[in-house]
Amino acid sequence: MAKLYVQTVPPPDLNKNTEWFMYPGVWSTYILILFFSWLLVLSVFRCTPGMAWTVVNLFHFAITYYFFHWKKGTPFAEDQGIYNNLTWWEQMDNGKQLTRNRKFLTVVPVVLYLMALHTTDYQHLMLFLNTLAVAILVIAKFPNMHKVRIFGINE
Amino acid sequence: MVRLPYLTALTTLFSYGLLFAFGQLRDFFRKIIDWFKSSSKDLKGYAPICLGLEDFYTRRLYLRIQDCFSRPIASAPDAWIDVVERYSNDNNKTLHRTSNTTRCLNLGSYNYLGFAAADEYCTPHVIDSLKKYSCSTCSVRVDGGTTDLHTELEELVARFVGKPAAITFGMGYVTNSAIIPVLIGKGGLIISDSLNHNSIVNGARGSGAAVRVFQHNNPSHLEEVLREQIAEGQPRTHRPWKKIIVIVEGIYSMEGELCQLPEIIAVCKKYKVYTYLDEAHSIGAVGKTGRGVCELLGVDPADVDIMMGTFTKSFGSCGGYIAASKEIVQYLKYTCPAYLYATSMSPPAVQQVISAIKVILGEDGSNRGAQKLARIRENSNFFRSELQKMGFEVLGDSDSPVMPIMLYNPAKIPAFSRECLRQNVAVVTVAFPATPLLLARARICISAAHSREDLIKGLEVISKVGDLAGIKYFPVEPPKHETQGHKKLE
Repeated sequence: MAKLYVQTVPPPDLNKNTEWFMYPGVWSTYILILFFSWLLVLSVFRCTPGMAWTVVNLFHFAITYYFFHWKKGTPFAEDQGIYNNLTWWEQMDNGKQLTRNRKFLTVVPVVLYLMALHTTDYQHLMLFLNTLAVAILVIAKFPNMHKVRIFGINE
Repeated sequence: MVRLPYLTALTTLFSYGLLFAFGQLRDFFRKIIDWFKSSSKDLKGYAPICLGLEDFYTRRLYLRIQDCFSRPIASAPDAWIDVVERYSNDNNKTLHRTSNTTRCLNLGSYNYLGFAAADEYCTPHVIDSLKKYSCSTCSVRVDGGTTDLHTELEELVARFVGKPAAITFGMGYVTNSAIIPVLIGKGGLIISDSLNHNSIVNGARGSGAAVRVFQHNNPSHLEEVLREQIAEGQPRTHRPWKKIIVIVEGIYSMEGELCQLPEIIAVCKKYKVYTYLDEAHSIGAVGKTGRGVCELLGVDPADVDIMMGTFTKSFGSCGGYIAASKEIVQYLKYTCPAYLYATSMSPPAVQQVISAIKVILGEDGSNRGAQKLARIRENSNFFRSELQKMGFEVLGDSDSPVMPIMLYNPAKIPAFSRECLRQNVAVVTVAFPATPLLLARARICISAAHSREDLIKGLEVISKVGDLAGIKYFPVEPPKHETQGHKKLE
């Protein structure tokens, strides 16, 4: 197949933990990983497509909540711990709110939610689980929740 | 500016995601196993030395390919070098040295002009100075560590670079990280290129001044940042900044690119900000007489306020210098901690630099300096054009002796490094966090000591390894003798 090339300039972000998100191909990789994990769940558990989307949605919730909104700091010591109180979401784009990357990451759980609901025909149990997952994720991504720690959890 | 195939970007992100996932899984199991094993009694109640997440990258990613870094060498870093062989019994967690060495082509040392090994003019002078002054002055500059060699070196460096005065220090990294806090403090603003070296970042953080970053080598973005910052002033009080310094490098060691110096100087003059040029890789290696990027790009040295450089790269010694006006150098002599508290440069090292500069300037009576400069330019241009013809993605401008070959995928880093070592070529591969996450590369440094045969052997090996590792991202240019062969058949 003909090679499609992308051109990129290293972005002026000093935080190496979040800088990788500004490169081309990140959004596509994210969507492709979700799609392939749906196929994987379908082939391993042999369930209905709707159940598979629900499973993907819940795993996506668990993994992204843990890594974006729970874990703080950076996985290397070179920056001498200046980001040790900030979660990955708060470090993104240097703390600027409502950038393109943040809007994309807010939309993806909602789209997953709609697909999961649609394919399970809005059954009550699935509806409840999916809504809980997506509500927590989307609220955590609001600009007003920047650096807010409810009840001191994860201080 | 890098161009990469879209599929490579996707696979690189996916590979890093996979490595990250496996690392987290291993950490998780490690936590469970450690919870069962009782912790030793005498450390109970003490805080852990490092938080588990801080060294995640080192433990789970770097240690897996540890044998590609920190390779011990057993000879002078000339065009050919002896690399000590190592083996590991526990999958690279610990490495053991053997007493065997392999003779490899050295494409990794900063030996731009070939002064790293014994030289016919420099080495006798160095041995004489070693006998006369011995290895160390055992003192700081301000107490008893200034020999006449040091004063001669400072005058020579100032004359070579084209500034009124210079001051030298024992270590290149320390030159940046100890000088910047002295030049600027709280209430000042440092604007540095986004890809500046760690020593500059360290110095800027240690100074207490506000730090802003502009897009790499982009004078128009620099102007934008300058206008915004001058208009806003200091962060909360909005008072005008006490001082603004712009820090750029001559050749960026990870990109091999030259700085766009004339445009940046023009912008700085317009807004009346000071400039600081770090010529670690470019002094002695570029320019018609080896005087660095100022000569190459036609910038008057008087336009750059402070010029910094190191003696490790082109002069085969160790240490760094700052060249500036007489007043600044005089000020540094009584404020800089590296002058007041750090031991002075070792006298044989000083003599090595003096002899090397004399060779470059032609003052030793021969034209070896001019020959070396011409040879490094030829070698760099030849090597770069051949690599590009083979289809590799090579960064850097022509005439620059540093050429990074892009690898991108994390698995190709150890593949390239180990396979090249097996074929007796020693290369340096660089990954995160010295470079951005996706842009891992193998950095080749060409030297004037490499002969044409050495370079051709290096090219053959790199081409073979490149085919095996799949890093020829660009289409290969057809070799010329194919068309001639065609004609012969007809």
